[in-house]
Amino acid sequence: MWGYVPGVSLMITCYLKEGEFEENQYQDFEEIVRSVNICREALAAMPLDAIIKILDALGKNVLKKPEINTLPGVSYISLWLRRENLDRICKVNYSDKRYLDGFCKNETNVLMMAQPRGIVCHWIAANMPTLGFFSIVQAVLSKNGSMVKMPKEYVPLILSILRELPAISAEYEGTTYSGKTVLAAIAVVTFEGRSTGVSEKFSLAADCRIIFGGSEAVRAISHLPCRDHCETIIFGPKYSFAVFDRDYIESDGFKKALDAFVKDVAVFNQMACSSPHVLFLEKSRYPHETVVSWMSDAFERLPAALLNQEISSGLSANIINARARYLLSDGKNCVAPRDLGWTILIDRDVGLEEPIQGKCIFTKEIDTVDEIIPLVNHKIQAVSIGILDPKKREAFARQVTSRGADRIVVPGTMHDFILPWDGIMTLNRLVRWVILRNNPGSQV
Amino acid sequence: MPETEPVRTYGATTREKLLTQAPYASEDRQKEEELLPIIREQLKTARRNNRQIDDFFTKQGIDIETIQKPEDVPYIPVQMFKHFDLRTCPEQEIVKVLQSSGTTGGIPSRIPLDKATTINQIKALKSILSEYLGKNRKIFLVIDHEGINSPKLAFSARTAGVRGLSIYAKKTFYLLKEEEGKLSLNMPVIRDIVENYSHEDVYAFGFTYIIWTVFYEQLKKEGIQFTFDNFTLFHGGGWKKMQDLAVSKETFSDTIAEVFGTRPDRILDFYGMAEQTGIIFVDCEQGNKHVPCFSQVIIRDLFTLEPCDIGKTGLIEVMSVLADSYYDQAVLTEDLGVQIGVDDCPCGRKGRYFRFVSRVEKAELRGCGDTFRESR
Repeated sequence: MWGYVPGVSLMITCYLKEGEFEENQYQDFEEIVRSVNICREALAAMPLDAIIKILDALGKNVLKKPEINTLPGVSYISLWLRRENLDRICKVNYSDKRYLDGFCKNETNVLMMAQPRGIVCHWIAANMPTLGFFSIVQAVLSKNGSMVKMPKEYVPLILSILRELPAISAEYEGTTYSGKTVLAAIAVVTFEGRSTGVSEKFSLAADCRIIFGGSEAVRAISHLPCRDHCETIIFGPKYSFAVFDRDYIESDGFKKALDAFVKDVAVFNQMACSSPHVLFLEKSRYPHETVVSWMSDAFERLPAALLNQEISSGLSANIINARARYLLSDGKNCVAPRDLGWTILIDRDVGLEEPIQGKCIFTKEIDTVDEIIPLVNHKIQAVSIGILDPKKREAFARQVTSRGADRIVVPGTMHDFILPWDGIMTLNRLVRWVILRNNPGSQV
Repeated sequence: MPETEPVRTYGATTREKLLTQAPYASEDRQKEEELLPIIREQLKTARRNNRQIDDFFTKQGIDIETIQKPEDVPYIPVQMFKHFDLRTCPEQEIVKVLQSSGTTGGIPSRIPLDKATTINQIKALKSILSEYLGKNRKIFLVIDHEGINSPKLAFSARTAGVRGLSIYAKKTFYLLKEEEGKLSLNMPVIRDIVENYSHEDVYAFGFTYIIWTVFYEQLKKEGIQFTFDNFTLFHGGGWKKMQDLAVSKETFSDTIAEVFGTRPDRILDFYGMAEQTGIIFVDCEQGNKHVPCFSQVIIRDLFTLEPCDIGKTGLIEVMSVLADSYYDQAVLTEDLGVQIGVDDCPCGRKGRYFRFVSRVEKAELRGCGDTFRESR
């Protein structure tokens, strides 16, 4: 797949460069790299707090625009861009925001600073419309320039958000900073990923590569040549599931938790790495069928926009086949509406199942949550747990994370984009930690 | 499950009548009135004879008596023939299990046949073909190699076509030969045809993609052209590959008609499947596929699964009353089609008519959501 492919376009389409929203064709990345490299210097000179203020204002602005705020995932972006959240993210990643703005003291004998890596080249996967935006913001919070290759269908959404930046300005310590500076350091491009030549050029332009995608894409991109100093951050193929214990199922708030859980299933139509595919239910005083009927009700309560997401003909066939397989099999069952809005597949085989997507959730009754632990490996990203007892919770979390799971979360928060993600402190990886040793005899 | 099957009397007279009457004479509503009582009885028998099918109904809370419309008949996806025994008669009545190699997954479909079903399928196919070929037997040209009909080979769409269409043959010729896995022109046979059968009534069958890429290509190289007085070609399958070659149905018909010295409207594309042997949906001169009286077609919306409005693309569901031995009453395919109209095709045939659009695209997991298996 990744070689010279006859008929594959070698053209690069750039939609945003130097703050200008113009669609232009290029043969290579030279001009784009040059402009991002120049503009990122101004971004790097901005105080991190000013950048955060601008991003916070961007979140508020997009929420006010009806033409944007109704787009999928935009309201969450707005929440995520809140200053307190961005401050928290920076604190977790850098320990102290001041490292981004200059050399700072720490417990050692040297001064330390976090320098941006330079140009970050982003390969954005095709499963989540807003993914590209989150990736861009992380590069901005580390003061890097960005060249973002994204699926063509998501370009209008991302550009519509970024278009708000030029109108934003932020006061910080007596100086006014403009969103234009942030925007100028971002270039958005599309090109045929199958074209090895163009992909190689893109890769070679990077001081840091962020790769989102499935197994094949990640493998192919990470094998592209890159500069010796280039850092590669991979958000590769992952699988998520959920497990609820008896006390949780029997607790008063359980039906509400199911509402939150089915939302986790429905968001991104179950195509994200954080989308659950299996729900394990510890045996409780409620029969499996009863819990399933509550879950059906929860699915029916989902907003129409989540229920009626467009699906491909192939996915449609896969869901129909899975339903029929469960209806024809001994010891299995399927509960679903007449349409393909959602599907609950019921059995007692303790194991993970190949994802179907399109809101198909496998539910399995288990004797104890401990049965799940051996199933966990490094492919597991999020495990949504419903375990009330704090000790049991932590013991379970320790065991599954030691086996490879990255995030232990609660229903309704599976997609919350909190760093670390996939076990990675992204912002930390997006900077170089540099030191300044003081002259001998001087005080640190 | 009962020890012995009660005598199946359901709709026998009606079905017999359907198999002997003109296949495209009934209007859609009349056809449904005739088909539904037969199907309901067949479903009851299916439930009695197959616990898994019975479960399939029970789990969905389906009461056969309440089925009032064809779209209410529970469909079984065609893939299930690969994974389940969909026999609907007592085991001892099965005389043959047809194994279709299919095109995806490598697992063959298993289609159990009893005597009555086999006879019904032959009658049905004769009835359909008589509409296009008349009553008399003809010279049959197979645009494939002889081995395709070998009982040693897995049953495929190509085999089904050859065997099914051969019922009208008074003499059969294979126009291709296979050597080391490669197909080429069977020149002695072709010469024989050109010299001795050009003035006979001739019909042919071939797989669309093979006709185009092997037969036509090599004839062109050899400069061979037929001049038949009366010729009809039935062809089907491989349209995805033809689309990849950017060859439209019209281009195919015009080009191949010239090769055989016939009119483009005698180049007939048909749609059919091994799981529903006996029924083929053949193009009329308007390019529409018609549904014979012992069958029905529903185009289902890809999301709501309800019948689509005319003109909207959806999944093709094929229904039939031919089979007593397996669940053939409602089979949901992995093909996309579009219903063009009902009872009013300018060709004069009654009932629904539709067009094939494409195979369903294989769905691949997109983005970072993935299998749980670790790669090494």
